Amino acid sequence: MAAEITYIDAIREAQARALREDPRVFIYGQDVGAFGGAFKATKNLATEFPGRVLDSPISEDAMVGLAVGAAIEGMRPIIEMQFADFSTVGFNQIVNQAATLFWRTNVTCPITVRLPFGGTSGGGPFHSQSLETIYAHYPGLIVLTPATVEDAYSMLLEAVAIDDPVIFCEHKFLYRHLKAEKLPVEALPVGKARIAREGRDLTIVAYSAMVQDAMEAATELAPEGWKVEVVDLRSVKPLDTDTVMASVARTGKLLCVGESWPWGGVTAEVIARVASEGYGLLDAPPQRLNAKDTPVPFHPNLWAAHRPTVRAIAAAARKILRQ
Amino acid sequence: MPQIPIIMPQLGESIAEANIVNFLVKPGDHVEADQDLIEVETDKATMTVASPCKGKIEKFSAQLNESYAVGATLGQIEATQEEAERLGLDVLTARKSSDHEEVVKPGSISDRNRVQPTIRGLPVPANAAGASYLSPRLKARMDELGLHAADLAGIAGSGAAGRVTVEDFEKFIASLEKQKMSKASTMRVAVADAMRRSWTRPLATVGLPVVIDAVLAHRKASNPKPGPALYALRALAIALAENSAVAGRLVGSKIVHPSAIDVGFAVEAEDGVLVPVIRDADQKPLKDLTQRYNELVELARERKLPADATGGSIATVTNFGTFGLIWATPIPLPEQTLVLGLGAGRRMPFWDEAKGQFVPVMEAYLTLSFDHRVLDGGAAGRLLQRIGELMKQPEKL
Amino acid sequence: MLQTVSEPRARQAGTVREAHLAAYRFMLRARLLDDKFAALYRTGKIQGGVFLGRGQEALSVAIGLALKKGDVFAPLIRDAAGRLAFGEDILDAVRTYMGSALGPMRGRDGNVHRGRPQQKILPMISHLGAMISVVNGMLLAHRFKKISGTVGVTCLGDGATSTGAFHEALNQAAVEKLPLVLVVADNQYAYSTPTARQFACENLSDKAIGYGVQVHSVDATDLTACLKTVGEAVAKARAGDGPQLVVASLLRLCGHGEHDDASYVDPKLKNSPLGRDCIKVAEEILLREQWTDAAELAAWRSEIVREIEEAVSQVQREPAPDPFTENWSAISSAHLSETHDDNGR
Repeated sequence: MAAEITYIDAIREAQARALREDPRVFIYGQDVGAFGGAFKATKNLATEFPGRVLDSPISEDAMVGLAVGAAIEGMRPIIEMQFADFSTVGFNQIVNQAATLFWRTNVTCPITVRLPFGGTSGGGPFHSQSLETIYAHYPGLIVLTPATVEDAYSMLLEAVAIDDPVIFCEHKFLYRHLKAEKLPVEALPVGKARIAREGRDLTIVAYSAMVQDAMEAATELAPEGWKVEVVDLRSVKPLDTDTVMASVARTGKLLCVGESWPWGGVTAEVIARVASEGYGLLDAPPQRLNAKDTPVPFHPNLWAAHRPTVRAIAAAARKILRQ
Repeated sequence: MPQIPIIMPQLGESIAEANIVNFLVKPGDHVEADQDLIEVETDKATMTVASPCKGKIEKFSAQLNESYAVGATLGQIEATQEEAERLGLDVLTARKSSDHEEVVKPGSISDRNRVQPTIRGLPVPANAAGASYLSPRLKARMDELGLHAADLAGIAGSGAAGRVTVEDFEKFIASLEKQKMSKASTMRVAVADAMRRSWTRPLATVGLPVVIDAVLAHRKASNPKPGPALYALRALAIALAENSAVAGRLVGSKIVHPSAIDVGFAVEAEDGVLVPVIRDADQKPLKDLTQRYNELVELARERKLPADATGGSIATVTNFGTFGLIWATPIPLPEQTLVLGLGAGRRMPFWDEAKGQFVPVMEAYLTLSFDHRVLDGGAAGRLLQRIGELMKQPEKL
Repeated sequence: MLQTVSEPRARQAGTVREAHLAAYRFMLRARLLDDKFAALYRTGKIQGGVFLGRGQEALSVAIGLALKKGDVFAPLIRDAAGRLAFGEDILDAVRTYMGSALGPMRGRDGNVHRGRPQQKILPMISHLGAMISVVNGMLLAHRFKKISGTVGVTCLGDGATSTGAFHEALNQAAVEKLPLVLVVADNQYAYSTPTARQFACENLSDKAIGYGVQVHSVDATDLTACLKTVGEAVAKARAGDGPQLVVASLLRLCGHGEHDDASYVDPKLKNSPLGRDCIKVAEEILLREQWTDAAELAAWRSEIVREIEEAVSQVQREPAPDPFTENWSAISSAHLSETHDDNGR
């Protein structure tokens, strides 16, 4: 059977299932109702579940605040941000209201905030951001970064079920480019990383769309005699240190790849943990590869050079492998 | 009148800065070109800064006991216009005293005359590269197997700049498994460890031929017969009693002086070497030590040395002449600075000036290996000469 | 737990006399509690800020009395009277200010940042205007759950009306036609900033038409007016008329916090009718109507002072939070807690 289910289909299916199985779930966001969402992530859901898929005004702050209030009263809201880049308007409500509620009051905040994140050619500075780092930095939030169609489905279902605020980072490029044959029946739980490709000579840790690029880089290196292991973090917070550490124990060499900016990012976090807890595992200094430290450029030429590419990942890998 | 700067000169290869230790002149003094103005001290030597020209010392901006970089301005000389032009010197334009002058203040943030650290605040590059680099993972593996860097000497590294990678290491270990292996005795492992630790120091050896006819004659006439090494031991002890500094240990920048002239001697035992000790070897004459010495040799061979007869010696004597060797470079014990070696005696021609011909003598080589951090060739040579001298009069030992 | 209020009849019975008496007692309690906190602050017994509601008691108590069980209340920093009228135990206030481990915030937050979400009294976050949308969300949840007849009230000051959060949330409530009552206490100053630097329209009540909501204006120094106006606004919201904006005028009779001497307040305002102390005004009403006498007022005062003293001395003996037994995790899902760092445990 041909691969027919796309990453965005999986997200829609997960939401449909959540709405169907749990009357406490509702979706709130801009254009999510009749229009089905800017990316069609909620296509037909407003019809199938009348009154539970609501159009909001352009008010990210109020959207998240409303979700928190609804959650206090027992609902399980899903907020769709039209682009991750706009979530910063609701940043205060996410990090100061949602993320602190349980810690301050012992009342849980089971909201899910879906962020279409990551870059696509021509997106430009305000339609391309990866914000997983900023949200992971704040205590009280769960941050998920599915890299596969299967994970987009199962992790979204789990996100709705988790009693804490979840920032669900869906990569826009993967929406329609990634396809699978069917939806999974069972899955790795949130908090566990996945060995996407087994190897022996080098560990590449990646997440979201970069997992695909890392896999291609590993394939490129195979004919040169290198067996590269690729770890898909799946969730950035919690970050599965154990799986990463076990991989580095096998290979002794580490390259972390992330689409977001370098300063204090996920790649820095992984390396900090491996350096402090697994120093004796390292046969070469750990390295990371991130986007350039500038806003995401518009022009496809610039954009292609701004983020790590398959070639850049392979080149960085070779440098470590030849140490 | 033009102001000529007094500049910290180049002071030697790799010297970047020097400490001001003395001003030889003061502001207002008239000086000649090339006259010494300031004494400075570097790691290697005390040097002087000379005047760039004839003139009058205007001021010193450098301060006593502070360090300044090569090229830093330390003061100014007021010179005549002709003098300045003659010498084609850089000139600081004359300033009114009320103007703000750039005073070199030690420790101020804007003080560009201070030595600046290189690369990101570290005095040396902190890169990990080169054949001697052991990665954390490699070190962890070596610790697991109880290995040291010396054990890796035989491995060719395939990593960057020739470093030994974990892969090279594992291949080496695997290849060893294919060869015949036996367990090293505890003695062998202990000696190996001691020698490895000793070798971390810069060791050198000096040698001296000594005529030993007198010693041989004295020995023949004695009962019981003292071992040849005992003569060398007594001579060494007396020489060290005269000057024990050469047997001191260097720890950091301090020299630890010996408290007693306890001297050990090497005895071959089974798979290694034991070193029994004669305590206060400078205090008793040879004949009083002979019996004890012979006892200790036996006990050592049977590996039954009592605890108080080992350890704590400040130097060791080794007689490899018993193996027929005429010359060797022994390695001092890791906790000692000196080891005195005695080679086999042989009949050699010796020029007798009085007789005008070569006469046969019994000659043996003394070699002294020493930790070159504590003493240099001169002191080592003088010690050996003294020992050789003492051994020419065995009846006084 | 919410303490059973000592005047339940007043809230439900609704006679004007009983409402005024109940209101006054809550106002007095709030004022004397505030005085106590101010005194504790000056003697160094309170860490962090102290924020008083002097001058706002009449407005605030009117809110608390208008609300019923099942309604939502998001008080802001000067709502001691409203909290008490809504049923908050004074021990919650004393414990939170004094950092007792037994308070509702367990030492994790302090002073006016206290509440009990499950009892529908929300602990504010410091960002002004942020609580309004949370109330909206709770009201929307009631709608989903087919709970009708509830109301949500939140208070803010003139300064908060400048925030984006205020704008977004009021707009959202209006679009969703939620039973929200937004009470704006225009006390003329946001910290040191006078209203002339806060908004350019003539009156805050002018904003209502922009949002498509109904507005009520009230002189907040007058208890009778407050009870009437706030009561009406809440009733309309409850009846399904959509969000109600209440703009109340008064003068802040204390500093922004007790660390502020408010020397910037225009003396002309202090001496104007706007600067009247609503408690004195309330006393005048009660005495004029002969609903009470001076002796009874004095008796109430000493009774409340004693109640507060007892509460303070009780709380002073209570333990502070212990960092070594504290659960240093900010999420409820234990299986998702990061384990690479022992988090000080």
